[in-house]
Parts: sequence; C-alpha cells; structure tokens
Amino acid sequence: MLREAEDDAGVDLGDVLGPSSDIATRRRLSGWRRMAVGLAFPVLLVGLWSVLSATGALSERLLPAPADVLESGRDFLIAPERAAVPGVVPFRGAAAEHIRASVGRWAAGYSIALCVGLPLGLGLGLSRWVSAAVDPLFQALRSVPITAWLPISLVWFGLGDGAARFMIFVGAVAPIVVATADSAARVPHQLVDTARMLGTPPRELARRVYVPFALPGIVTGLRLGLTLGWTTVIVAELTGASRGLGAMMFSAREVSRLDQIIVGMAAFAVIGLTGDLLLRAVTRPFVRWADA
Amino acid sequence: MSGAPAIAAIGVAKSYGELSVLDDIHLSVAPGEVVAVLGPSGCGKSTLLRVLAGLEPPDRGRVEEGGQPVRGPSPERPMVVQGATLFPWLSLRANLEWGPRALGKRDAPTIAEELLEATGLSGSGDLLPRQLSGGMRQRAAIAQVLANSPPLLLLDEPFGALDAQTRLRMQEWLIGLLGERRTATLLVTHDVEEALLIGHRLLRLSHRPATVVEEVPLELPEPRGRTILADSRFVELKARVLAGVLDA
Repeated sequence: MLREAEDDAGVDLGDVLGPSSDIATRRRLSGWRRMAVGLAFPVLLVGLWSVLSATGALSERLLPAPADVLESGRDFLIAPERAAVPGVVPFRGAAAEHIRASVGRWAAGYSIALCVGLPLGLGLGLSRWVSAAVDPLFQALRSVPITAWLPISLVWFGLGDGAARFMIFVGAVAPIVVATADSAARVPHQLVDTARMLGTPPRELARRVYVPFALPGIVTGLRLGLTLGWTTVIVAELTGASRGLGAMMFSAREVSRLDQIIVGMAAFAVIGLTGDLLLRAVTRPFVRWADA
Repeated sequence: MSGAPAIAAIGVAKSYGELSVLDDIHLSVAPGEVVAVLGPSGCGKSTLLRVLAGLEPPDRGRVEEGGQPVRGPSPERPMVVQGATLFPWLSLRANLEWGPRALGKRDAPTIAEELLEATGLSGSGDLLPRQLSGGMRQRAAIAQVLANSPPLLLLDEPFGALDAQTRLRMQEWLIGLLGERRTATLLVTHDVEEALLIGHRLLRLSHRPATVVEEVPLELPEPRGRTILADSRFVELKARVLAGVLDA
C-alpha cells in the first residue's frame, strides 16, 4: 500500500512521454535507471536555467541565476553570523536558528495534532455515538480553509508561537482524524469476532485488533498530516515570528531578495521530505505486513 | 454419548426486520460428536452458526452449552468461517499463540508448536498469513481456535473456497484431527459429499426460513477418507440425500 503510494507519487517519465508507453504493462524502470533519470531531469532544468540567466533572457528580477542562489544558500548555511540587529531578521549564517524555530513549531503543533487526532479518529471510527455527535461538526470545520483560521488564532493566542502552533495543529489534525476514523471503521468484523472467540476481553479489542489492523491507513494519515503541518508553518510564521524559515522569506521579500526566498523554498522542500522519510522509516516495521 | 449436549438449540428463531431467517430450529451435538448441517445456499446456515456461537442472540428460543444458556461468544465454542480469519499483521505462530495468551496460559508457545506440527505447518511458523496458500490458511485458522482446546467447534463452509483436490486433503486432515482430539463439531456445508465424509450425523435444513427437515445417521465404514468415496453404502447414501436436497 505504501509502496504503491510511493510509486504513484513520482510520475514515470516513460508513462507521460511515450505514446507506446508502459502504462498497459506497468513495466518499471530498474533502480539505477530510475535514479539516473530522476537526477538527470532536474540537472537538465538547472542547466537550461543557467543558460537563460547567462544570456539575459531570464531577468534577474524574475529569477536570479542558479549560481547566485547557490551562493546565498552557502551564506545561509555556513557564513559566520553577524551581530544581531534588533528588528532585522538575519540571513547570513542564520540557517540553524531559523530551521530550529520552524521545526520546533512544527514538532509542537504536530504533537498536539497526534494527541487530539488519534483518539478522536478512533472514537469516530469505532463508536456510533461519537460519530453521530462529532462527525457533522468535524466535517464542517474541516471545510474551513486553513488560512481562514489565522485571524481567530491571532485573537486567541496573540502574535507569537502559540498562534503558530495552533495553525500547524489545524493543518495537521484533519488528515490524521480522517485516515484513523476511516481505517478503524474498515476493520473486518470477522477479525473482531475471531478475537472475541479466542477470549480477548472486549476492552482490549481496540488496542489489540482495531489499531494494528488500521495502522497502515493511520500511517498514511500521519504522513499527510506531517506534510500538511509543515506547509502550514509558513502561514503560521505570518503571525509575527522573527525567527523561522517563513519569517526569513517574508523579510527577504521586503527587500526583494529572490535568491534568499528560493533558498527558503529549498529548505522547506528538503526538511519536509526528510521528515516524511523519517516518519516512514519509524513506522515501517509496523506496517510492512500490508505491503503488496 | 451421555450427559448434557455440547450444544443445543431449542426452538431458535431469528429474523432481520421482515426477513425471517431461522424458524423453530431444534438441534443438539453430543460431546465428541460431529454433526453436519446441510442446507441450500442462502438458507441461513451462517446465521444459525452465529447464533450458536453467541455472536448474535436468537429472537425466540434458546441456545444451551453443557446445559447452561449461551450469552455471548466464548473460547469454548469458536467459529471458523470461509476465508481468512487470521490476524494479517502477525506471524502464523503468533496467530496460534493468540488464544492461549488471551486466556493467560503460560505454555502458549508449546501449544502453538504442537499445532503447527499437527497442521503440517511446522516450517511456516514465521510466515505472515498472506504468504500461505489458501489451504494452509484455512488449516491455520482452524488450528488457531483449537489452541484453546474448545470442547465444541463451529465450522462454516471451512473449505468452500478451495479447489477439489485440496478440499479432499483438508477434509481428510480435519477428520483425523477431530477424531484424535474428540472435539464436538457442528459443520455447516452445502456440499453433500463433505457432509457425508466428515459427519457422524446429518441434519438437512429447508430453504429460508431454515428449519431442520431431515435427520440422517451416517453409519459409514471407518476410517473416513478418500477410500470410502467409492464405497457402495456411501454412494447410495449420497444419492438418497442428494435426491432429498434436489426435491426440496
């Protein structure tokens, strides 16, 4: 199941480009070939970008040259940090500081989403009463766009980390609840019957049958929530944070430093991907049984 | 066979809304006895087993186990249905240990090992259910509930999904196992041959709403197995029961 999701996420070039493509047979590229194509294509794009920048076809005001972005990236990561100027969001050498702030908010908001989302999802999936009482309200709230929570979170928590954590929580909690409720409700009743007929006490059914069986689906929700929570970090950092990748990018926008903005975007991509890989690695032993 | 029956249904009736599924069913299984219940598809055989297993209460009548009323599912009378009932995230061995562990028995690993042996799955203990063949899975599902040494076993078309040869092998295996363990068994099937091969006694059910319309003692040569399929008494009995089914 996970492997399928993984394969579907990366679009197979052969499928898109070739009219006589492999869609019918679903032939997969061998490992090294896949990796080579996956690396070659972005390298090709960056090469094209370099040429367009060097010839002046691509204005620096729209997109700075790759070399400039790389240099900013290096500055961000390893340049010696300058003395802090009050009211100024630092860039040079400030990577660790910004990343720590953003990841810290992410972890806090996501932890709250886990603590709320898993029990709520199990309740919705397993109890008719909880489902009848909570589901309509939950579905209604879920339809409110994440950004629409920003004004109220600012009123409730004021400018700062509280509002940021709340926004990340809002972003991450919905997929966790939906996936947990849905997978828990799909546990075959024969499995539950069997557990009962083997002498499993009813109060242990949730822990011993429902959760293990639902886990692959729950993990998918955890992954979606993690990524969605991470994308909410930038919205959360609109709430007046002075540290964080989002704060850095907004400050760069004010002085039109596109190179710094792109560095911020790249950092978001790398960290989000790393988080997802880590989550998958941690949960893998528990869901391997469901692999196709 | 004396004493209280392993299980008895007394005037059991069950409906789902307007749909009457079971009507005034009387039956009993003596300790160690194997009773085959034969009925047409959709006649309510599975509902009957679920009521006997205590998974659903009857609307009328009652179910008794060893003279005591049945009030819910119990490791004393587990049911095995067609298709997988193994826990897919656990190894075969862990599946077999589930029951004894749930009952707090300390020798769960020993019990599981013995059952792996008895089911011819000794080499497969570490495999996941999906890595087993259909026949192996079905044997394992029966072994899983036998791990608690129940006095009564309820089987719902346990070999329905298997090919004919595998099914015959499974039937012979089951006959041997039940004879050895003296487990009272109620086997529900729509297959006349299976009913005759495994049962000591046969109960035939009517179309829905199901009720017992015929009781046939199955006095056939021992040991049961492929050799009696061509036995004249077996063939004769099969023809007679089949005629009853077709004329119903």
